[in-house]
Parts: sequence; C-alpha cells; structure tokens
Amino acid sequence: MMELAYPVGLIVVAAAIIIGFTALVREKDDLHRILLTDLAEVIGLVLIALVATDLAEALILPGLVVGISELLAVSEVYIAKEGLREPTGPAFRIEVMDSAPGILALVLVAYGVFLSGFTGGAIAAVGVVFYFMCRGHAEQFELIETVSGYAWAIWIAAFFIFMFLPQYWFFGVMMAGGAILVKVMAKMSLVGTMRRGGPDV
Amino acid sequence: MTPEFILGCIILIIGVIAAGFPREKTYLSRLINLEIPAFGLLLIMLAYDEMLALLTFIGVTAISTFVLVRAIERREAAE
Repeated sequence: MMELAYPVGLIVVAAAIIIGFTALVREKDDLHRILLTDLAEVIGLVLIALVATDLAEALILPGLVVGISELLAVSEVYIAKEGLREPTGPAFRIEVMDSAPGILALVLVAYGVFLSGFTGGAIAAVGVVFYFMCRGHAEQFELIETVSGYAWAIWIAAFFIFMFLPQYWFFGVMMAGGAILVKVMAKMSLVGTMRRGGPDV
Repeated sequence: MTPEFILGCIILIIGVIAAGFPREKTYLSRLINLEIPAFGLLLIMLAYDEMLALLTFIGVTAISTFVLVRAIERREAAE
C-alpha cells in the first residue's frame, strides 16, 4: 500500500506549491514574503521526505542547515535595509523566563549530547539559545570560535580514519558524532546572543 | 498509506492555505499559522520513520521562530 503513497504525496505537494507560491506572488510586504519563504521551505522538505529512505534523511539535514542560514541572512538584510532599530523601553519579561532556563537548558543539552551528531547539536543549541536569551550572556566569543574550530578539525580527522584505518570505524564514528555536536551547538548558540543587552552580532 | 501519512497530507494542505491566506493578515497570525504545515511535515516524516530528520526539524524550527520574532518585533516597534 505504501507504493500508492508516493504519487498521492506528490499530488498533495504540487497543490501545496501552487497555493503557497500564489500567496507569495500576491504578497507586497517584504516581511510577509520572508514568512512565506519559510512556508516554501517546509513544502520543499515534504518533497524530500517522500523519498522515504535514509537518503531522505541525509538530504533533509543539509536542507535544514541551508534553510536556517538563509533565513538568518535574509532577516538581517531586511533589518539593515529598513533601518530597523531595537525597540526601546523596558525589556519583555515574563515569570517563566526567570525560573525555567536552568532546568530546561540542562534537559535539552543532556538529550542533545545523548543523541550526538548534527541532530544532537541542534537540540542542545536550542537549550543554549534559550538560556542565553533569558539569562543574558557574558562569554568570550573568541573561546567559542576556537572550540568550534577544533571540533571542525576533529571532524575532518574522523574522515581520515574512515579512509586510511577503516578497522577503527567505530572510533571514527564517535569522533565525528562528538565533533559535529560541538560544532553545531557552538555556531547555533550564537543566535541566542542576538537579543538586546549585548553586542549585537 | 498509513493513517499518519493521510493525516499529514490533510494538515499540510490546510496549513498551506492558512499560512498563505490568513484571515487576519498580521505578522504574528501568519507566523503562528506557519506551525500548521510544519506539523503536517512532522506527521509525514513520522509515517516514514525519519526520526533524525524529525528531531532536527523541531530543533531548527525553534531557532528560526526566534529569528523571525526578532525581525517582527523590530518592525512592529518601528510603526
């Protein structure tokens, strides 16, 4: 029965593309267009998910990376183009932002480390972003950059182990999984420092 | 065709209409409506057992929502 799912899924995606891009063409406001770009990304990911094998997962992960970096870049360009400033007045404060960050960040980071790899990096980064967002930040960016650089080098070294010492493949998997976790977490956690009350990156 | 897949397709179409043509055309309502097609995508991924993609998508969506809210916040403050 799963053979029928692919053509049905393709028809659904085709309909979604037509509706989504009609909305995009009719839209005049730039920020609304950015939001609809996010919708187009979701539709594209459905198209990849329909492939339904490990290949789909391998394609979705880089798709997500490109999606988030594209969104970051486009929103920065939009803010710079419109000359938008940080809102003045007292910062937005709610009770849960004072009490939750510690435990929530701990749970997310612990689960991220358990998952390891790119997925773990993204989950752990959400915890770190939430913590930075709520508690503020005073860390040294040079340190994060250095750690991220070393993680990158370890990741490459793991690939050399796969190539030249294939009998130690498990060691290579562990190295690559841990290194990409640190790399993704370090990079994505910088998003959390974009909130007011610190150097605006 | 599993129930998750059929439900995911239905929610995807509903969500694309809701996010493309929201009743109240504000930034926040459109941002909230964007969660509906994302949920359809999650159900379709669930139907195909794509666990890694599913978890990563949840993580990245949380970060992208933060980025979008930051842009919306500044836009609303400018008006």
